[in-house]
Amino acid sequence: MRAQFRTLEREQRFQNPPEDKSAFPLLQDAVAPHIGSFNALTEGADGGLLNLAVKDIGTKTIFDSNDTDRLGNKLRIRVESVQLAKPAVAANDKISVNRKTYPSECRERMSTYRSRLMLKVTWSVNDGAEVSEIREAGQVPVMLKTNRCHLEKFSPAELVAQKEESDEVGGYFIVNGIEKLIRMLIVQRRNHPMALIRPSFGNRGASYSKYGIQIRSVRPDQTSQTNVLHYLNDGNVTFRFSWRKNEYLVPVVMILKALIETNDREIFDGIVGAETTNSFLTDRLELLLRTYKSYNLYSKQETLAYLGDKFRVVFGATPDVSDIDVGKEVLKRIVLVHLPDNTDKFRMLLFMIRKLYALVAGDCSPDNPDATQHQEVLLGGFLYGMIIKEKIEEYLQNINLQIQSDINRGVAINFNDRKYMSRVFMRINENIGQKLQYFLSTGNLVSQSGLDLQQVSGYTVVAEKINFHRFISHFRMVHRGSFFAELKTTTVRKLLPESWGFLCPVHTPDGSPCGLLNHLAHKCKIATEASDVSEVPKALAQLGVSPAHTTFAAGPSLCCVQLDGKIVGWATHEQGRIVADTLRFWKVEGNHGIPVDLEIGYVPPSSKGQYPGLFIFGGHSRMMRPVKYLPLDKTDILGPFEQVYMNVAVTPSEIENNVHSHVEFSPTNMLSILANLTPFSDFNQSPRNMYQCQMGKQTMGTPGVALVHRSDNKLYRLQTGQTPIVKANLYDDYGMDNFPNGMNAVVAVISYTGYDMDDAMIINKSADERGFGYGTVYKVEKVDLSQSRRRGDPITQHFGFGDDEWPESWREKLDADGLPLIGVKVEEGDPIVAYYDETLGKTKVKTYHSSEAGYIEEVKLLGDDSGDQEGQMITIKYRITRQPTIGDKFSSRHGQKGVCSRKWPQIDMPFSETGIQPDVIINPHAFPSRMTIGMFVESLAGKAGALHGIAQDSTPWIFSEDDTPADFFGEQLRKAGYNYHGNEPMYSGATGEELRADIYIGCVYYQRLRHMVNDKFQVRSTGPVNSLTMQPVKGRKRSGGIRVGEMERDALIGHGTAFLLQDRLLNCSDYTQTPVCRSCGSILTTQTTVPRIGSLASIRCRRCAHKLDTYVQKHGYANDSDIWEDGQGKKFVGGDDTTTVAIPFVLKYLDSELSAMGIKMRYNVAPR
Amino acid sequence: MASPQREGFSIPASISHAALGQVTSKSLGVRYNCAQCAASFSLSKNDAIRCKECGHRVIYKARTRRMVQFEAR
Repeated sequence: MRAQFRTLEREQRFQNPPEDKSAFPLLQDAVAPHIGSFNALTEGADGGLLNLAVKDIGTKTIFDSNDTDRLGNKLRIRVESVQLAKPAVAANDKISVNRKTYPSECRERMSTYRSRLMLKVTWSVNDGAEVSEIREAGQVPVMLKTNRCHLEKFSPAELVAQKEESDEVGGYFIVNGIEKLIRMLIVQRRNHPMALIRPSFGNRGASYSKYGIQIRSVRPDQTSQTNVLHYLNDGNVTFRFSWRKNEYLVPVVMILKALIETNDREIFDGIVGAETTNSFLTDRLELLLRTYKSYNLYSKQETLAYLGDKFRVVFGATPDVSDIDVGKEVLKRIVLVHLPDNTDKFRMLLFMIRKLYALVAGDCSPDNPDATQHQEVLLGGFLYGMIIKEKIEEYLQNINLQIQSDINRGVAINFNDRKYMSRVFMRINENIGQKLQYFLSTGNLVSQSGLDLQQVSGYTVVAEKINFHRFISHFRMVHRGSFFAELKTTTVRKLLPESWGFLCPVHTPDGSPCGLLNHLAHKCKIATEASDVSEVPKALAQLGVSPAHTTFAAGPSLCCVQLDGKIVGWATHEQGRIVADTLRFWKVEGNHGIPVDLEIGYVPPSSKGQYPGLFIFGGHSRMMRPVKYLPLDKTDILGPFEQVYMNVAVTPSEIENNVHSHVEFSPTNMLSILANLTPFSDFNQSPRNMYQCQMGKQTMGTPGVALVHRSDNKLYRLQTGQTPIVKANLYDDYGMDNFPNGMNAVVAVISYTGYDMDDAMIINKSADERGFGYGTVYKVEKVDLSQSRRRGDPITQHFGFGDDEWPESWREKLDADGLPLIGVKVEEGDPIVAYYDETLGKTKVKTYHSSEAGYIEEVKLLGDDSGDQEGQMITIKYRITRQPTIGDKFSSRHGQKGVCSRKWPQIDMPFSETGIQPDVIINPHAFPSRMTIGMFVESLAGKAGALHGIAQDSTPWIFSEDDTPADFFGEQLRKAGYNYHGNEPMYSGATGEELRADIYIGCVYYQRLRHMVNDKFQVRSTGPVNSLTMQPVKGRKRSGGIRVGEMERDALIGHGTAFLLQDRLLNCSDYTQTPVCRSCGSILTTQTTVPRIGSLASIRCRRCAHKLDTYVQKHGYANDSDIWEDGQGKKFVGGDDTTTVAIPFVLKYLDSELSAMGIKMRYNVAPR
Repeated sequence: MASPQREGFSIPASISHAALGQVTSKSLGVRYNCAQCAASFSLSKNDAIRCKECGHRVIYKARTRRMVQFEAR
């Protein structure tokens, strides 16, 4: 047990932040996937992923002639290299002393932390000398603490000097002052063909079956291309791919013949191998090869030319390129793009075809795409790089389009003229940075190709700083993809044993994202750079794997050895196992040049199981985790593919000879950071631990300590946070004490006043007054005067008071500069800022809009980007005090949430023999059904810890049946002179009598949740109504009502409470009295007459009335008292048979809508 | 709840804002601090929002020297 409080250490660290490195390396590890993937864009082999990307984009060819007969001058243009600068102030800024832009400035100024993207564009005319120019492509948002960020290598002391947290982790972007991160996405494992049975495959066409082999092959720049082989019911195989969101189907033999110079025999042998007696296979092979004969394509050149001809338009090839070259381009860009060599592609395709036939024959099982074994993680930085690549390609296309439009418009074109080229650059949209900013702020992917991904939105989330638990969880979150969220089946959400140690089984939300939004286990890492596998082929050869190019082999009867999706060789299955075991020994040993994080997935032969082979992976984006390798007693790095076929003991005690090769370092490694923090979670019912993971993230805790330098819309802060007495060791390793999330409370489990029923809790009033759960909400309001003005217009509104007359009372809250006084209290309607409007010549104020009073905490004046204009933007931070009130939500760390129902006076609280009175009372009924035994243990441990002044370790799985926590902590309690079981006799606070039963009382760490009545209460007697229906509006913000919906109505009907129903649905809603015509039964035609002298206004039906002149023509005369007049002075007679009825106003609306359709409603009014 | 008059210290309402020295105090009265270098300075009405020392573009308003007092109840 090593749990300690380390109060002095912490105090020291806060006073003098370390000047070398962070005290919490685990926190840096937690965000490493994000930072590493972003770093990979600009560093590493070949100048980083971005430079690999521009190499892959290649050269665009443009001709300057409109003629069909001649091509004209040829311009070949490409992006040679990409550079990303570090964030800095604009070059034309002469005033700034410090030219670097730091993230804190961006948070405060609500700007974007970004830096210049520079493209080196190179072109040559008619294949002459190359000319290049560096073009600026806007400012790209930059991830914090990466190699493009100034904070990268800062020590905690330097970070504090730059107004960051002392242990700032980075990994997110700042866009318009909001912290955004790209969330990790689960995608198919790269470069490994996966056997699938999908009924939807059958929808492709008439003979398409449900069988397919899918491979997601990834280029060196981390962009991917998915290839699928479809099995047709007649035994044929087609190759499918999508290109620019369109699907294309090609007979697989055509691809094979185009790849290398081959013949039918070679294809047959490569698929069938020695199994010539397998008639299932040979029959299909015969058909496959025979049907292809109809194309009459025999040589590689013929096939390439055929392909090139078909795909010429799709690939936008220029006329100077031959069909064969277009065909080669298709193969290069589409077919198994992870392999540069065509022979390798050929072999891999043969392997895939064989796997497909094995799947159809039932010799192998389909692979589960929902299992971690076949998954990897798409990292934010890589996705970012993919988008940048696509935007650069678009940039080149735009140059082409611009030149085309110049040709069409007849503009003089001279590629050799620098002026003309500048004109082209000037006229296209070069701002790639803006597009990336759009991506980050909306999460929407605008893409031509779709980037081989299944969704177009939801890629980014706000890194909310509600408390530190929530913040850090964002970086460990992996999403399955929003496509799966709509799926009706729940199979994708299932917790599979394959994910052990990689995804946390506990930390997933309940409700709609359950099982789709997972969190990485805290020891799970993700590869952001490829391992060095250059020595692996040599080692394999040494171990007796016969190389692929010399071997006549195919099929599952032999062990196919693949390295990152390339067939290296073949071995027998017995050999394969030995190779795998030796390779593992060597890699852990570390002296054969084999990287320790190499994944050696040996799939043994089985009866109708997974397709066998030895699959070795060393690429990017793999999940990995450390375990102990028993033969060498050293750390081995495991991946999810190999783990399935390995025996990893969870504890050293369960190791069996000749069974286990590995043992976990700790069973807690399989839990996420948050799940590890739940004390004694091994004693709780599992769903309770899930609830705690959710509630830990909604706690009003400590979001950070550099709050002065933040401008979040809303921040919650617990003023009286404490370190828990009972905490897991990992709590300290992750530095959670820097951000306390709750407070220790003396909790008695007793049914005391009746106010603690139904998950309510009673808080000791004196504890409340001592600050238990006292919190603050900080709200920031931005006042931007330039918002009302168009860009480029002169400034007409100025902060401050003008020379005109304005109420003196404004100065009570506002200073001479028109901004509020710091520290002043503002209530609803108070002025918060005064500004002078030039066009109106008047001083105006903006007022405070919240029923809750706040105090002005900070006023920040924000300069604009250019920095030479008068101030137009300020932010005001309000401090709103939130003492716990009745209705506020609290919870322990065991999913036991409750609402404060009373603040009970201390004198009336029960007391123990030592005079201790509880801070919190909860009801015993909270336990039997929920089985949160961990909370009892925590209570016991907390009590013992408080009595002895020690911290208690609450790591799960440290106790056993023989060594129970009840005994361990019971003994401690006994030594302190307390009851062994944690019960104590207590006395009623009201009568002083001893209670009949002993009360379980101890110390539990309580969290105050951010759901507070002050943000929720909604009452209304009268208020705003919808003008169309005259019914109350909805929404708390608009002081609307709460809807009595259909189900509520049903309940009222069921109770027979007719008057209540009438009251809710009519009287308190849109009750109206309206005149109705008795004779024609209409409510729309009645109207009030213009009162005549001597008589009151009356109600008449215009429909039943007659115009005075027609009446006079008919009847000769009209009685003067019968004549009435409408508002326009027209005179009528009759229509006086009206009365008044009470109706809901919407009825009138319905009637008018119906009459617009030519339907008349008639109301029969009784009694007549 | 206390009446609004009793909340906080308020300047006697009898004097007009001309007598308060509105015009002169406009530029001199309010101090600002730079977010980067913590320099203290005042700003006149049409100044750009920049620190006079280092050119930083975020400026905090200094806490008022006027008495701010609340009832502790």
